[in-house]
Amino acid sequence: MLGRGSVLAVALAAMLTIPVGGAWAHDESKYPDWSGQWKRPPGIANQFDTSKAPRKGQQPPLTPEYQAIWEANLKDQEAGGQGTDPTYICIPDGMPRAMNVIFPMEIIVLPKTTYIMIEYLSMLRRIYTDGRSFPEDFEPSFMGYSIGKWVDENGDGRYDVLEVETRLLKHPRAFDASGIPLHEDAKTVVKERIYQDKADPNVLYDEITTIDNALARPWVVTKKYVRELRPQIWFEAICAEGNQHVRIGKENYMVGADGLLMPAKKNQLPPDLRHFNASREEATGATPKR
Amino acid sequence: MLYPSRIGVVARTVGLAVLGIGALAIGATVAQAFDETKYPDWSGQWRRPPGVGIQWDQTKPLGLGQQAPLKPEFQALLEASLADQAQGGQGEDARFTCIPNGMPRMMTIVWPAEFVILPSITYVNFENHMPRRIYTDGRSFPKTEEPSFAGYSIGRWIDTDGDGRFDTLEVETRNLKGPRTFEASGIPLHKDNQTVVKERIALDKSNPDILLNEITTIDNALTRPWTVTKKYRRDRNVMWFENNCTESNQHVVIGKENYFMSADGFLMPARKNQAPPDLRYFIQSKQ
Repeated sequence: MLGRGSVLAVALAAMLTIPVGGAWAHDESKYPDWSGQWKRPPGIANQFDTSKAPRKGQQPPLTPEYQAIWEANLKDQEAGGQGTDPTYICIPDGMPRAMNVIFPMEIIVLPKTTYIMIEYLSMLRRIYTDGRSFPEDFEPSFMGYSIGKWVDENGDGRYDVLEVETRLLKHPRAFDASGIPLHEDAKTVVKERIYQDKADPNVLYDEITTIDNALARPWVVTKKYVRELRPQIWFEAICAEGNQHVRIGKENYMVGADGLLMPAKKNQLPPDLRHFNASREEATGATPKR
Repeated sequence: MLYPSRIGVVARTVGLAVLGIGALAIGATVAQAFDETKYPDWSGQWRRPPGVGIQWDQTKPLGLGQQAPLKPEFQALLEASLADQAQGGQGEDARFTCIPNGMPRMMTIVWPAEFVILPSITYVNFENHMPRRIYTDGRSFPKTEEPSFAGYSIGRWIDTDGDGRFDTLEVETRNLKGPRTFEASGIPLHKDNQTVVKERIALDKSNPDILLNEITTIDNALTRPWTVTKKYRRDRNVMWFENNCTESNQHVVIGKENYFMSADGFLMPARKNQAPPDLRYFIQSKQ
């Protein structure tokens, strides 16, 4: 997407009056350099609050109802289930979990839109900085609808902080793989402040505040990302390729290395094969045991 | 990715890159200046024209109507694929498992696409696939990079009419993996994945809201390079949606068999007389 024309017009670029699709100038010196590939720092796993231990160590400020849902989920996961983590079927992490950046992230800053591309599924975020408002009638999505505002916090004439608000999300989502739930009403609002470390331009922070009806109060965590200084290599992380999970109805099963269906947890019942007529006996009783 | 100003410097930088001279000098994360006036305006959302389906060659009907220049062995595969699909199977088309269409099929643009042009790279964003990165920084194809469905794409901007502004993006894509087909009918590509895809992308000279992509596919399933020209139309009133294949995918793959999920949440056959899945592990687990 290209802007063009004279350069100085852009300082106001992130503001209010730029028509969608119109050409305009882009003074790149007004924006921070967030180029490259951003990753989780070494040693950081996939938990939501990276300053705390995974799973129970997260201490999310859940309402009692959702705390109970989460604890039931942890038990289910310990028994081999997936609990309230819906991503085993290869749906996107959604917001705010996508910003756990399990796979590397690229940020493309343009005056009207900042793109955040995460190397997994189609987890592409568009953060609109053209002054628009949230649409009133828009299909919700896992990544949501994001509106951003550039801020020159230290007054040096160059933007240094991107403030983002994300709404219009849909269910199901969890904060991380431990299944910390978000409310089914999907009325989540995610506010972010993204900025570089003042002492180290190869460190990026994302202060994420999540407001959700599963939470007793807004949950604020600060994520840290480090810039890859070696040559960038981008991969395709295709969840559906080689996914061993099989969901049938509300049950999760596994497919073994030999291509046969197997239980995902102890004593799990096999799927109901009522829609099969022929060969049913063969499947349920007559097949030779290995 | 940011390109601090000094506009004017950039055009020269890009020019060098285009000539292949600047390849080594341009660091992947080094900020560059960017003269947007040197590039075409491909902003907005690009879609298939009204009435155009999801066939590979837009000018011909799907399947055998495509008259794909397949070798006899691969023509037989296509015919078997169509016969299987007529029985409720998926034939050669693996998309039902929600793996990406890959190149060149993803340029059919079943769902809308966006071009984001920067000097060193052009991104093609899709609603239902991960983005394509087309590198225009003068680099060469890597020798050891992992193959992918979208492949590795290197592009070159050309100013064909000499007006001082690039108008055509030439792209070559290699390093692909499979399974891939040209379209849903299952027109196959060779399993050796030695495919090379060459594209020339440019606006229609008489209509700036039409983008043309001349795609030449070189593949060992074909008797000769297959060239088709895709047409996309621009929508300037842009809305982007998520299209997640897995979210409501009713296909259930167990081993090499494809089944369906019924509306009431039970497994059901995808074709007549299909045997149910082997449940031997459940019998063992129940014992």
